[in-house]
Amino acid sequence: MIIDHPLLGPRDAQEFVILGDASLIDRPDWQAGDAARQFHDYLHLRDNPAGEHRELWFHEQGDRSWLVVTRNTLTHEILKVELARDVAVARGRDR
Amino acid sequence: MSGPYRIDGGAIDRGRSLAFRFDGRSLSGHPGDTLASALLANGVRLVGRSFKYHRPRGVFAAGSEEPNALVELRGGAWREPNTRATVAELFDGLEAFSQNYRGSLRRDLLAVNDLLAPFLSAGFYYKTFMWPKSFWEKVYEPVIRASAGLGRLSGEADPDSYDKGFLHCDLLIIGAGPAGLAAALAAGRSGARVILADEDFVMGGRLNAETHEVNGRSGADWAAEAVRELASMDRVRLLLRTAVTGAYDHGIYGALERRTDHLAAADGKPRQVLWRIYSKRTILAAGATERPIAFGGNDRPGVMLAGAVRAYANRFAVGAGRRVGVFTNNDDGWRTAVDLARKGVEVAAVIDARDCEPVAEVPGARALMGGRVTATRGRHGLKEVTLATGERIALDCLAVSGGWNPNVHLTCHHGGRPVWHDGIAAFVPGDRLPVGMTVAGAAGGAFNAAGTLTGGHGAAVEALDELGFSVAAGDPPGASDEATDVAPFWHVGESRGRAWLDLQNDVTVKDVEQAHREGFRSVEHLKRYTTLGMATDQGKTANVGALAIMAGQTGRSIAETGTTMFRPPYTPVPIAAFAGRSRGRDFRPTRLTPSHDWAAERGAVFVEAGAWLRAQWFPRPGETHWRQSVDREVLQTRGSVGICDVTTLGKIDIQGRDAAEFLNRIYANGFAKLAVGKVRYGLMLREDGIAYDDGTTARLGENHFIMTTTTVNAVLVFRNMEFARQCLWPGLDVHLISVTEQWAQFAVAGPNSRALLRKIVDPEHDISNEAFPFMACGEVGVCGGTPARLFRISFSGELAYEVAVPARYGEALMAALMAAGEEFGAVAYGTEALGVMRIEKGHAAANELNGQTTARMLGMQRMVSKNKDCIGNVLSERPEMNREDGLELTGFRPVDRSEELPSGAHFLATGAEAATENDEGWMTSVAWSPELGHSIGLGFIRNGHTRIGETVRAWDGLRGRDVAVEIVSAHFLDPDGERLRG
Amino acid sequence: MAESPLRARPALDGYNRSIGAVALAEVSGLALVSAAAPQGGDEAFAAALAGGLGAERPATGDSSAGDKFGARVLGMQPDQMFILFEPPDPDRPAETVSAALGGAAYVTDQTDSWAMLRVAGAGVRNALERICMLDLDDAAFPEGRVARTVMEHLAVIVLRDGADSFLLMSPRSSARSFLHAVELSVANLSQ
Repeated sequence: MIIDHPLLGPRDAQEFVILGDASLIDRPDWQAGDAARQFHDYLHLRDNPAGEHRELWFHEQGDRSWLVVTRNTLTHEILKVELARDVAVARGRDR
Repeated sequence: MSGPYRIDGGAIDRGRSLAFRFDGRSLSGHPGDTLASALLANGVRLVGRSFKYHRPRGVFAAGSEEPNALVELRGGAWREPNTRATVAELFDGLEAFSQNYRGSLRRDLLAVNDLLAPFLSAGFYYKTFMWPKSFWEKVYEPVIRASAGLGRLSGEADPDSYDKGFLHCDLLIIGAGPAGLAAALAAGRSGARVILADEDFVMGGRLNAETHEVNGRSGADWAAEAVRELASMDRVRLLLRTAVTGAYDHGIYGALERRTDHLAAADGKPRQVLWRIYSKRTILAAGATERPIAFGGNDRPGVMLAGAVRAYANRFAVGAGRRVGVFTNNDDGWRTAVDLARKGVEVAAVIDARDCEPVAEVPGARALMGGRVTATRGRHGLKEVTLATGERIALDCLAVSGGWNPNVHLTCHHGGRPVWHDGIAAFVPGDRLPVGMTVAGAAGGAFNAAGTLTGGHGAAVEALDELGFSVAAGDPPGASDEATDVAPFWHVGESRGRAWLDLQNDVTVKDVEQAHREGFRSVEHLKRYTTLGMATDQGKTANVGALAIMAGQTGRSIAETGTTMFRPPYTPVPIAAFAGRSRGRDFRPTRLTPSHDWAAERGAVFVEAGAWLRAQWFPRPGETHWRQSVDREVLQTRGSVGICDVTTLGKIDIQGRDAAEFLNRIYANGFAKLAVGKVRYGLMLREDGIAYDDGTTARLGENHFIMTTTTVNAVLVFRNMEFARQCLWPGLDVHLISVTEQWAQFAVAGPNSRALLRKIVDPEHDISNEAFPFMACGEVGVCGGTPARLFRISFSGELAYEVAVPARYGEALMAALMAAGEEFGAVAYGTEALGVMRIEKGHAAANELNGQTTARMLGMQRMVSKNKDCIGNVLSERPEMNREDGLELTGFRPVDRSEELPSGAHFLATGAEAATENDEGWMTSVAWSPELGHSIGLGFIRNGHTRIGETVRAWDGLRGRDVAVEIVSAHFLDPDGERLRG
Repeated sequence: MAESPLRARPALDGYNRSIGAVALAEVSGLALVSAAAPQGGDEAFAAALAGGLGAERPATGDSSAGDKFGARVLGMQPDQMFILFEPPDPDRPAETVSAALGGAAYVTDQTDSWAMLRVAGAGVRNALERICMLDLDDAAFPEGRVARTVMEHLAVIVLRDGADSFLLMSPRSSARSFLHAVELSVANLSQ
């Protein structure tokens, strides 16, 4: 596979490590009343869609950026590649 | 001229002769020959025995689709079985051998199988080798194994080398026939970066095998001129002898280049190179493969594909027979008759299954329209055919054409299914092609030269346009339109005897009919039950004919029946090519510590730790057992001082205004309040609360930390920290960079370590206990100004330091430390002694951190801060992970001190049965403690801290051990840590 | 106290060899220091690069030449540069960069982390295509382009420093395996 890195252009997927569902960005609040339940869901419950899927990939043998790759799991078509940091900030993550 | 069957013309170099041997017989051919063409030129028709029935077989095709002519090439360790003679280029000195017989090729003892054929039909394995069950392994399997397979492996390591590589292009063109060449010319002239790959050793494809004219000259000449022009373009890369074997995601293709197979010796260069080709667009111009017609005895040597007979005549200057017949259902078959007659080969008859007018006037040949061949004769080669009319015709070669199948294989590699095209009675690529691929020429169903040329050109123009190239002006090359009519005809119903479909796996029409009778209705089932198309040729000449027979049985059309899928590779790829250079020492890289050469010179024994080689112990003269060396290293370290290279530990430089806060969230325990100049032990949890790594982190400055990780987890910890930094807390100001390789780091441990370091550390740095206490760190100079970092940390439990210098000074520092330690009797110690000392101190390591370990099990539950957010702290509070009766790390010693503890043993109460429900935990690590003089162990046992002094059993069912052990503190030595603070 | 200062050992022991038309040589004497821009400090960082090294801040994957210390700034990560330069004090390269950038960046010495090998000569790209998955074509990877990638399981930083010249940097501990991989690639091609 080839991942079209937003900063570097197309790079072979061999340079990357996949982590999984991009929802791992949405780490729950540790002080929430039901934090244990939220963390359980965050860590263990995933959708496994046949179709578009947002995934976290790490450009380990590259610029060390974490990316959010939107990929069709049926065709392997890659529809979008974003810097995960930008995605995280847009989703309200900060300090 | 070499060989009695040579005729005029052809693209062989008659000026040179090449001597070769087949089954020990000396023969000769010419450059430009394949082994197959040279054998035919010499009149060798019997070249092998078939897989199942051991029937005599000869050359059938002229390309990579060959099902029959599989031979062993070369000798000794170079022996390569199952090589297709039709693609083996002849070279001087080539040795080839026929295969799959017992006795001699002409008198194969296993030919008895042919007489047993009624019992060996489809599925006979499944029916025959069922009972008794006790025969499965002892009788059936050895018998089946002995008769399975074709050629013999050398049984030796492959002496050749192989390589891999990566190529990039705008346009990959697969196949250099008329369509591929026309496409390459258009693309090359437009300035695109082109790769043109062809599996043959001459480009031009069928143009070299035909008598077509292109742009007013012979097709072969036009092709040669086109190749010359392409070779002169620096953006065009020509890959000869290169089969593109697979289409992968996003325009990536696999290709096997055979670089030295056509040479007598590889001369130390890679024999084959497996390329990974990155293309923006791809044109599949892979041509078409002719298919036979099934009739009685159609497997006899001398029965060949008509297009192959034509290729042997036109390209290789070989008459495949002296009296040839053609059996066809299409116009193209007639071209064989016409070309042979022109070359002076006697053509006895053209037998056309169609009821139509003769397609051409063939001098000397009878045109038998509506004719059908029902049987053949000739023990080791064709002598005569019988027609449905009962007429017999003496022939030594029958050229058969049942039409042509586009080579759609690569179009299916992403799940696309070919569709049936009535006009050419063949499957053509469907509409779901791999992204970026277009199909041109015969591969797309265009079967005349004019169509392939314009198709190839047009496909290139379209691709270039999409890629943004302005297309160079020029018309596609032109050729005359020839007739290509075909009427589907698969099987002569009146056949006498078996009619073969798959020659390589010996599958006949009867087998397909029987499979249908037994209920195998889907093509996928048919394939697996009869093994049709499952040999090394993947049924290139067989599949469609068999589908047609099956469709006939079910009363459905071929389109409704559908076809099986094609997967990579298109042609066989040796495992050696997949391995490439990753063999032996080159299987993976080796990481060496800065003191590696120093240690090797002193005879150190090394152990692999991931990719690292670490000194395991340093034997001295007279030491005959590893324990002697390790015991000495431990005792001398604890008694005086020892030095160990600990460079392999992961080191991460962490800087930023929020570095302390970041560490606070990465580690379970707190780091925010760590003072500058101090080191702290840290425990890392996974988000599920399980401990996964530990190490020490030193605060070098307000905003500057240096973290160590375990050797094996260095990469993982860095990755996880980058995830936390970029995805979880992108607002924190923190930066990470690995410095594992930057610093050579040595542990200096033992009561004399300070005295030793006083001789190394420059005198302006005070390293007294008061100025530089336990868990202090700082930047110092060593050996007269070399910058260094000093950490007062201890894994051994002794007064100890770790000293780090830039890696280029590492080897020299090791030598300097040893020289400075000479007066103390300093020893170098390896990972074994390191392990013994950490077990003596009860420090957890990889054996304890096995992915199931909680902080509580390590006795560190109080370290997990509840007052801050950190990875893993929420889920570490799950009740099951905090049970009062949970497993806890403790020490163990044998009740009988002379016994050795078994690692991995499970703990059982005295008298309890060895059963899962009685399991109380397990022994994680054991060592011989030279200081205590007995075996010691660490392990997890239920409620351990309340059971000190209790006796249990360490039961090891694998080794048959059952040892009474006493539960003790994990701190076998110096439980209050007085030594390390001294 | 030790009598003599420690002797430095280059990662590749000063390897220097030509195979066919390709010259392979260890580069020693250059320092490599990483510099990371603090959050919110991008402008100050760019200004410090310009002022302290006379270099522009390169985009990730590009590099820029400075006019001090013979420096070249390599854009390794979105917020991290590597500065390759001739150090006035080889034992304190981080201090040199720190002083030049006036505290506008977090700096870390990387000099000893990487073995540096220059491969140069006609056909060098044909040799590298046996191990390097990057497209090193003139259009895709012109002079001055830099990338971190993987070759034969090893991390490699590739800097194109000439038409037919590449500076390759790979971790020091596996430098011998890396050199072997490059050597073999060149030898496999040479006549």
